[in-house]
Amino acid sequence: MSFDPPPPPFNSTDPTAKFLSSSSLDLLLIELVPLAKRMAEQLATNDGPLEDEEKREAMFFRLEQLGYRVGQGLVERFSRERPRMVETLDVIKFICKDIWMIVFRKQIDNLKTNHRGVYVLTDNSFRPFSRMSVEAGGNAVLRAQPFLWFPCGIVRGALANMGVNASVQAETNDIPTAIFKIETTGAKAA
Amino acid sequence: MTFYFAIIGTKDNPIYETEFGTSKQGGDGHARFPDEQRPMNQFILHSALDIVEEVQWVQKELYLKTVDRFNNLLVSCFLTAGNIKFLLLHDSKAEDPIRQFFADVHEAYVKTLMNPFYEVDMRITSTVFDSKVRAAAKKYL
Repeated sequence: MSFDPPPPPFNSTDPTAKFLSSSSLDLLLIELVPLAKRMAEQLATNDGPLEDEEKREAMFFRLEQLGYRVGQGLVERFSRERPRMVETLDVIKFICKDIWMIVFRKQIDNLKTNHRGVYVLTDNSFRPFSRMSVEAGGNAVLRAQPFLWFPCGIVRGALANMGVNASVQAETNDIPTAIFKIETTGAKAA
Repeated sequence: MTFYFAIIGTKDNPIYETEFGTSKQGGDGHARFPDEQRPMNQFILHSALDIVEEVQWVQKELYLKTVDRFNNLLVSCFLTAGNIKFLLLHDSKAEDPIRQFFADVHEAYVKTLMNPFYEVDMRITSTVFDSKVRAAAKKYL
C-alpha cells in the first residue's frame, strides 16, 4: 500500500524499495477477530460471563469501529489521483474496484442496485474465506460471520468519508461467497 | 507575496491555519499582512466556502484552482475526497506552484489522518505537520 506505486518492473535490487508482506496482512486481518473476541470476554468478566448474543454484539461493535476508521483513511489516501466522485454510484464503483483491490487484491464480482439507494455487492471468492475449511456440520457459515464485520466497517467508513451515509450488512450463505448490502440513508452531505 | 493558508473540516470547522511569505525572489518567508488585514483574511477565506460548494460539482479535479477573489486577493482551493478543504489566500496568480504545494500538504494531511489517535475534523496541532507545510511553502511558493 505505498503512496507512489513502484514502477512496474519491481526493482528488487533497490535497497530502499518498500514491500508489504501480503501474508502478514492476511494474518493480521484474521487475528483481529479472535482479538476482538478475547477483548469482549476480558472486559466483561467483571459482570459475569457474557451471553453468546452479547459477546457477538461486542465483537461486532469493536470490529466495525476499527474498520470504519480504516475505511476513512483509505479513501483519503487513494483518491487523490482520481477525478472527484459526484454520484453515489461513482462512490460505490470506487469501493468495488479500487478499495477492494487494495484490501483484498481482487475486484467485486457483481454489483446490483435497485436505483433507490440499495446496492448489493457480491464477491464470489472473498479472500478471508478462501482458506477456510467447510467441514459438514461444523457451522462454518456461522463461524465465518465475524470475519465479515471488519470489511463491513471499511465499506461504511469509506462511504461516510465520501459523503454517503449508509448502513452496511454482510452475510454469507456459501463460503467463499460474501454478500455486502449497502443501504444509503438521506441526502448526500455537500 | 504573502499567503494565508487554512484547512477547513467537513463541518466547515477550521482545523489548521498558518501564514507565510514567499521564499522566491529573495523573500524571507515571513508574512507581510498589515495588522488590520489579518482578521479579514479569515473572513475572506471562509466566505469562499460557498463558492467551493458550487464549484465542487463541476470541477472534476481535486484542485479547484482559484475560486474567489476579494480586491486584489485570490482564494485557491483543493478539496479532498473526504470533503476537507485546503484554502490558500494569495495575491498573485500562480497555478502550478500552488497545485504542487497542495499536493505536498495533502500527503502530509493523509499521514496525519493515518495516525490512530487522530479523528477526522480534529484540529491538527502536530508540529511535524506544521513544519511539513512550511517546507512545502518554502519549496514552491
